[in-house]
Amino acid sequence: MIRVENLVKYYGEYPAVRGVSFEVPKGRVVGFLGPNGAGKSTTMRILAGFLTASGGKASIAGHDVFREPIAARRNIGYMPESCPLYPEMRVVEYLKFRAGLKGLGWGERRKRIDYVTERCWLKDVRTQLLGTLSKGYRQRVGLADALLADPPVLILDEPTAGLDPTQIRETRKLIRELGREHTMLLSTHILSEVEMACDSAVIINQGRVQEDGTLDAIRTKHRTDSLEEVFVKLTGQEGI
Amino acid sequence: MRPLLALIRREFTGYFLSPVGYVTLFFFLVATGVLFAGVVDGLTRSGSQGVEYPFAALFGENLFWFVFAFIPPLLTMRLLAEERGTGTLETLLTAPIRDWQVVAGKFVGAVLFYLVLWLPTLAYLPVLLNLEWTTGTSGIDPAYAWVSYLGVFLAGMMFLAIGLFVSSLVKNQLVAAMISLAACLVFVAVGYATPYLDANGWPARAVIFLSVPDHFRRDFTRGVVDTRPVVLYLSVTAGCLYLTVRSLEVRRLRA
Repeated sequence: MIRVENLVKYYGEYPAVRGVSFEVPKGRVVGFLGPNGAGKSTTMRILAGFLTASGGKASIAGHDVFREPIAARRNIGYMPESCPLYPEMRVVEYLKFRAGLKGLGWGERRKRIDYVTERCWLKDVRTQLLGTLSKGYRQRVGLADALLADPPVLILDEPTAGLDPTQIRETRKLIRELGREHTMLLSTHILSEVEMACDSAVIINQGRVQEDGTLDAIRTKHRTDSLEEVFVKLTGQEGI
Repeated sequence: MRPLLALIRREFTGYFLSPVGYVTLFFFLVATGVLFAGVVDGLTRSGSQGVEYPFAALFGENLFWFVFAFIPPLLTMRLLAEERGTGTLETLLTAPIRDWQVVAGKFVGAVLFYLVLWLPTLAYLPVLLNLEWTTGTSGIDPAYAWVSYLGVFLAGMMFLAIGLFVSSLVKNQLVAAMISLAACLVFVAVGYATPYLDANGWPARAVIFLSVPDHFRRDFTRGVVDTRPVVLYLSVTAGCLYLTVRSLEVRRLRA
């Protein structure tokens, strides 16, 4: 469903992504891991069509993100890292606007908005201004927006960052449920989250893929039970 | 088409959700109201001190355009600069909508609000046209009115397109407003130079070609549709919109 081949992205002279390749088959939930500044967000932004790659190829459901941007984006529900929202709009207004942007018809719009507000526990804040929402609710609105057009692929950039433990648990549960219906690529720092919600993982560091495979395969390969060991071994300095 | 309509709707209604729209509307109405009062005063004077062309007295003054130049930047400053600043541009540009549709949606939204701005001034028309209430005929040629409005519509489009382009270049709304104000003032300030130039020389012709107050003083407010300013307004509009689309593309490539 998601295919990335030799992706390169330069910010001026600085190579943020240096030849990343991986694949996410249909129905798989893949954790995208790496330290801060490893190139996770950049890769996801290229997949979502917010940035253009300097080199290499990426495609979503068979549509090249550069050559057929609209077709590719129709297949993606993307949630950016900090969940930017328009503070002056109300939750339902915002979702209506987003549904229109994604080309949903009037009848469908209503149905999908009812569905996503139910699904992401937004029922009690439907008419609240986005600017007054707490971090947890903002995150849910972002997730609801990603789900609006019922896309086959979900790309979530740190969906649990800045949430409290209860919210993390709720979001994780939601992600697990969504993983049954959607192909998913989600980035995170929280390794226990990957172990709970994902089938496999891609670990990147300094713009390069360090490890790619199912969680069991990665653990066996590095002869350890914890993903944290592997993560530190691949991305940290020796002796930490 | 649906994404475009959704965006136009949001941009247009967005003006009513923020104080900027109301503040702009207020100051615009104060400015046109003061001018209207002045014109009515001139029209009712006895003797030879009156106003010959009421619309020229309204829209043909350098001062009017000097004040007016502040309006379009206020309407366009937030369009793209705010989205860049707060990061919502990321959600907008990852939706299945083309870059030209993003630009068109924002531009049309701004133009619609600009028309709303002018709507209340229609109330001055019966007096300015010396309308006969019983028969519905006007005392002067109605072309003065509708050509003037055509002029402010086209000139407004140009200023809004300039503002939209500037807004796509920066992240700060205030900076966007300042730069687009400076750019809009170019088309107004040159009008102050006309009296000092030899009317037959090429500098005067160039200045008159660019000077929006001169276009209104000489043509639009007298019911004349001169194609030169019309071509200028439309081509600057098209050029700026094109550059805005390109600037969105460049942003994708850079970062």
